[in-house]
Amino acid sequence: MERAPASDRSRLASRLAWIAAAAWLVAVSGAFAIVWKYKSTPSAEGVLAPARWPASSAVARSANRATLLLFAHPRCACTRASVAELARMMARFHHRIEARVLFWTPRDGPSDWNATDLWSSAARIPGVTVLRDEEGREASRFAVATSGGVVLYDARGRLLFQGGITAARGHEGDSFGQERIASLLTTGAADRADAPVFGCALEQEPPARMALAGASTTTNQGEER
Amino acid sequence: MSVARKALEMTQAAADVIVQRAGARYEAHRQEIFRSADRMFGGLMIGQWIFAIVIALTFSPYAWQGKIKTVHMHVWIALFLGAAITSLPVALAWFRPGEPLTRHAIAVGQMLWSALLIHLTGGRIETHFHVFGSLALLAFYRDWPVLLTGTVVVATEHLLRGILWPESVYGIPNPEWWRFLEHAFWVVFCISFLILSCRRSQTDMRVMAERGAELEALSENQWRNSSAVDRAAADGRGDR
Repeated sequence: MERAPASDRSRLASRLAWIAAAAWLVAVSGAFAIVWKYKSTPSAEGVLAPARWPASSAVARSANRATLLLFAHPRCACTRASVAELARMMARFHHRIEARVLFWTPRDGPSDWNATDLWSSAARIPGVTVLRDEEGREASRFAVATSGGVVLYDARGRLLFQGGITAARGHEGDSFGQERIASLLTTGAADRADAPVFGCALEQEPPARMALAGASTTTNQGEER
Repeated sequence: MSVARKALEMTQAAADVIVQRAGARYEAHRQEIFRSADRMFGGLMIGQWIFAIVIALTFSPYAWQGKIKTVHMHVWIALFLGAAITSLPVALAWFRPGEPLTRHAIAVGQMLWSALLIHLTGGRIETHFHVFGSLALLAFYRDWPVLLTGTVVVATEHLLRGILWPESVYGIPNPEWWRFLEHAFWVVFCISFLILSCRRSQTDMRVMAERGAELEALSENQWRNSSAVDRAAADGRGDR
């Protein structure tokens, strides 16, 4: 069999390289579309907080300013962005809100369950109190199923906002949630009082289902792990 | 043919040779730069891939559902999408170094790495500096169209994301259609100076090539003259 001349082989190789480049571009673009889809799909559970601060809650509510609760899974990587956004929000609104971060803690989890960078990051934010939420009882009372879920109540215990404060899963930056909270705190009104939540599940069962089950339990407060 | 005309033709021929040699020198120098930059980016792509995997394993190894953990999507993204982005530029840098397709594929790959690292680090503002660092590195090619390719990739990614998922880029639900241009403006601001630098480098390379060719021609001329003198001297000694 006769071999193709060098120039023909070179032309063929060049054509193949261009085809490979086009296929690569299509494949990589498709993969990025999947990544975007994953990052922009919020939790189906979301937040369904009660309209009034639950009487059974053991968390202290501020009597003279709004109270913000951020529910977090101490090991959820996506919630790192929510804590970073909370820090930004507190820098701006520390004189208008009191914030508490409640870390979901399992009943029979290891002793170092909450010894994570997320706990330390939250504890470092001025004006924020970090609490353990044993078995997610408080999350159940406030019907928050997803790590990164936020509820905001005014000084009289009325629900102002429920939802997330990040624009996507584990993605820092401006978001609907932050804009709405900022608007509520500065003007008293917002286009909506909710926002999608992105993060890991706090419970294996949706907490809303067991909301009443743990109504008589209390939450261990304090910054100990 | 007059002596003057013959001398003029010889000068013209010598000048043509110098121009040809200068062109060849310039092309050889450019190829050397392209190949060297291709090799550098080949290594950088693999380094970025390893870095992305380390980032994913360090900061987001698991996704949680209560106490149940699963491998986080970021780990798979870093592993497989990282491999996909790295594959073609590295293959081209290895098998077809110095070709235009190689450096443009590398420019696309490098900007896609910026986008992926921004995703993996949760949109940290600091990671956005990777875009500008990458543009500066692409200027190593001293070939300004490569910078345009990189800019087009950044602008397209922002435009598409701004249309399909605006809050991830601008944090507001209905941004104006031209908002991506504001982000692209800073990239254009950066590459304007890089393009200027590339063009100046190319001019310098041409000047260097011309001077090199002239020096080469001059030394060849001197060598020919000295050879002729040597031959004449040798002939003179033979006649005696």
